[in-house]
Amino acid sequence: MPYRRSILIVDDQQIVRDSLSDWFKQAGYPVTTASTAEEALEILEKHDFGIVIADIRLPGETGLSILKEVRVKRPWIKSIVITAYPSPESAALARKLGAIEYLAKPVSPDDLEKLVSEALSSTSEATVSTSIYRITTPETRRINQSFSLNSADIRAIVEGLLQEMEVIGVKTKQGKFVFDRIKSFEELCLDYDVTVLPPTRYLRPAKEALLKYQSGETPVVEPVMDTTPRAIIGIHPYDLKAIELLDEVFITSNPDPNYIARRNSTILIGVDCLYPSKHCFAPSMGTHIVESGFDLLLTDIGSSIVATVGSAKGAALLTRYTHAPLASGEEIARQKAVREEAWEEAILKHGLFLHIPKEKLPKLLEENYDNPYWETRSEKCLSCGSCVMVCPTCYCFDVQDEADLTLKSGQRVRSWDGCVLVDFATVATGENFRHDKASRLRHRIYRKGKYLLERYGKMGCVGCGRCAEACLAEIASPLEAFNAIAESDALKKQMIAREIKTRSELYLPQFAELIGIRELTAREKVFEFKLPEDRPLGHKPGQFVEVMIPPIGEAPISVSSSPTRGNTFQLAVRNVGSVTHAMHNLEPGAKVGIRGPFGNGFPLERLKGKDILFIAGGIGLFPLRSLIQYTLDCREEFGRIIILFGSRSPSERLFTDELAEWSKRTDIEFLETVDRADQEWKGNVGVITTLIPHIQITPRKTISVVVGPPIMYRFVIVELKKRDLADDNIIMSLERRMRCGVGKCGHCQINGVYVCQDGPVFTYAQLLTLREAV
Amino acid sequence: MKPKVAFFDFSSCEGCQLDALDLNPEELIALLGAIDIVNFREVMSEKSDDYDIAIVEGAITRESEIGRLQNIRQQAKILIALGSCACIGGLNCLKNHLPMEEALRIVYGKDAGYYDTIPARPLNAVVPVDYYVRGCPANPEELLKVIKAILLKKKPEIPGFPVCVECKMAGNICVFERGMTCLGPVIRAGCGAICITSGRFCWGCRGLVDEPNTESEKEILTKYGLSVDQIVEKFKIYNSYTEVAR
Repeated sequence: MPYRRSILIVDDQQIVRDSLSDWFKQAGYPVTTASTAEEALEILEKHDFGIVIADIRLPGETGLSILKEVRVKRPWIKSIVITAYPSPESAALARKLGAIEYLAKPVSPDDLEKLVSEALSSTSEATVSTSIYRITTPETRRINQSFSLNSADIRAIVEGLLQEMEVIGVKTKQGKFVFDRIKSFEELCLDYDVTVLPPTRYLRPAKEALLKYQSGETPVVEPVMDTTPRAIIGIHPYDLKAIELLDEVFITSNPDPNYIARRNSTILIGVDCLYPSKHCFAPSMGTHIVESGFDLLLTDIGSSIVATVGSAKGAALLTRYTHAPLASGEEIARQKAVREEAWEEAILKHGLFLHIPKEKLPKLLEENYDNPYWETRSEKCLSCGSCVMVCPTCYCFDVQDEADLTLKSGQRVRSWDGCVLVDFATVATGENFRHDKASRLRHRIYRKGKYLLERYGKMGCVGCGRCAEACLAEIASPLEAFNAIAESDALKKQMIAREIKTRSELYLPQFAELIGIRELTAREKVFEFKLPEDRPLGHKPGQFVEVMIPPIGEAPISVSSSPTRGNTFQLAVRNVGSVTHAMHNLEPGAKVGIRGPFGNGFPLERLKGKDILFIAGGIGLFPLRSLIQYTLDCREEFGRIIILFGSRSPSERLFTDELAEWSKRTDIEFLETVDRADQEWKGNVGVITTLIPHIQITPRKTISVVVGPPIMYRFVIVELKKRDLADDNIIMSLERRMRCGVGKCGHCQINGVYVCQDGPVFTYAQLLTLREAV
Repeated sequence: MKPKVAFFDFSSCEGCQLDALDLNPEELIALLGAIDIVNFREVMSEKSDDYDIAIVEGAITRESEIGRLQNIRQQAKILIALGSCACIGGLNCLKNHLPMEEALRIVYGKDAGYYDTIPARPLNAVVPVDYYVRGCPANPEELLKVIKAILLKKKPEIPGFPVCVECKMAGNICVFERGMTCLGPVIRAGCGAICITSGRFCWGCRGLVDEPNTESEKEILTKYGLSVDQIVEKFKIYNSYTEVAR
């Protein structure tokens, strides 16, 4: 990029021109001089520079007029203004016109050189090189305007470009179409269906050098960039959409200098797709017609070729090589009709369309992560990478260092890589984080339909259909995957709906028979129930049911027994409200309505292998007992089991027989306390938190499960934090008014969370994000 | 200290060795500056049994070759298998489908009695192999890459993915679309899809990838008109030694 260092000096005084020119030439800069603004502008028409140093007062137009032109035509050029007549007004104007410095004469060449060198080195990647192509925006050609061209005009443009830069066009190869370098207009083929590889390969080539380096005492690393001026002719709308996504990925977030350098030196000439390929589903992705993203877009409407201008570069092409007039209203209407007809016909002919609106894809995929479809679909996958290699929106890459034989210098290159390849997610230790075909295939489809859309706001699939064509196993089409998942999702939902119908609605209970009653204290009883045909309730420890006693009402009651204790289930109940009062009056044999189980229950998988510290206060033991029983029944799956239980008084102790059993067992540690002792009580006295200092725990290995009255949580958490337990390792079960149990009535809601569905079990870490919770 | 490098060959056409140093002159001179070649029958008459790196071409097809290879392994700190025969058994293993006596008879006719032979096998069926430079012939650039990696004490970055990746990178039209069939989807890349780029198809000379979906590949070959026998023949050419062709 020789022009980047070159300097244009504009001054009417020869002595100034000569002295500055000599100075900079000696410092190694290419220098051009001009004595008037007019002369400078003429030079700027033909040559590019890194810096313009301009005097303001010149014969004829002022130096500021140069700045004005530069800002429009070559915005990357930095300008420095020097003047013997400094004034605040001209300084402000110079700044407004983009001058980076405004200096009063006499100027020290040394200072000036420092400024220039700083200005040139601060050239950001984003402005690294744009095209050296001459940009002139004529008054008469504007962005979004369409012009009427004939085939001679197209030829003139292509041949003009061939004179000036590397031209990539669509041509035929072995019966297919490819983007490739063209040397003559005749090679160009614009009425094609689809190319084997997308044009994006000229923005992110299969292999490119990123850096050159030299190791040693003073290591040197230099960027390598391709700023070859290049025009790509014949890009279909879906590929332009793909380039828009790449721009978002490579320019908007963490600007990628190599991509930007190429992108800026590339002219994109689109052409409407009038013969869609049999695998193409661009209309479903909304990528079949574009309004922007090109410099020029051509539509062959038969009688003429309509060229829509998308940028100043595009406008300049028309001005430079054609005398094309504005397209007539008729032509513009025809342009629209031709496009739409082509796609309508393609949809009719090939029958490819998304069965749901594309906006619904992220949610659909979110809900079908575990759909068995991924497994079956991937059985035939060769992991050959063809789908990702031909994809215009796939941009993942690998980076490797290639050393010279000196072993001291070399280059860092990046090359295409893809998530369906076996080793894509393998780390140095050999662990492969996406080791099975199904998860790789799913990941690719999720990038297409969900991840990229959520991350970049643009569809990750443009519907070009290249992957479907390239896949020998015929499993790559995202459209087929989306539709299959949509269908299976709809089926699933139908089945759920049908099931609900056959189960006669959400609010109808099944009736369980009361088969046993045991008095625990004066206020608490435990009831044992049996469902018809000895069906198990199917609950997890920590879940609850809604108990219905018509005509009294319904109440949420947590299940007190573990599912490991047979097909019956127990509900321990304090006589406190109308429904519980009615329960306390029940006789064995009574039928009670049961809905549920509801709620999330305790996270059994997380607890496995850990030391469990149970802390129960009062009737908090009721829900916790289901989990205690579970851990005792599957004792070998857990580490230490420590149970702390506190009652208000000895007479309020619950499940005394089980407490006695726990205290005898040697494979559990059991500590008990009462707030107030009576004469017979010989055990600990004090609130439950007084027990915590008595136990030794390994914070890393321990999860504490705490259930009790709200006031207890506050103090227990303080104690547990003192013992270095992480917020995530403190688990609690919350009590709320759970009227319906199915996340609808709203009574149990804590901020945005429904306790009956998302709870009642939460980690302390989760609760910290819920302001209403504790 | 420059590492001392020795070349050896077993049953093979010796083409890989011929190709091994077919580098551009600058590269060759740089290479000779980085290593000492102490044993290379095809290019020099000096011989030395003191070497650090052994680069071995060819498959093992005779009893006597086993001991010789074991000696090389014992002497060398690093053993590099060069080419298809050494890496995967290659063409030599085609004879494994015959009784050994018949193989001898077909090749040597009435003189068969003077020779002995055993089922052909790659080097790693006899001794541990540290690096593989695959292909028929092996790619000299890749050998260079492996040597540089050894000098730098890093793992050479040799592709583990199938030929399709490099074939697409090369901008080729798929062989199947050109009315032929190809083993590319299950064969290791690293060749730059050279055969396909030159208008042919993949023969499988670099061996199967680590997790080849051969069932799916066979299904595809059937779909494109190959009979089971033809499919087996296709795999057999280079990959007889692996389970696939059996």
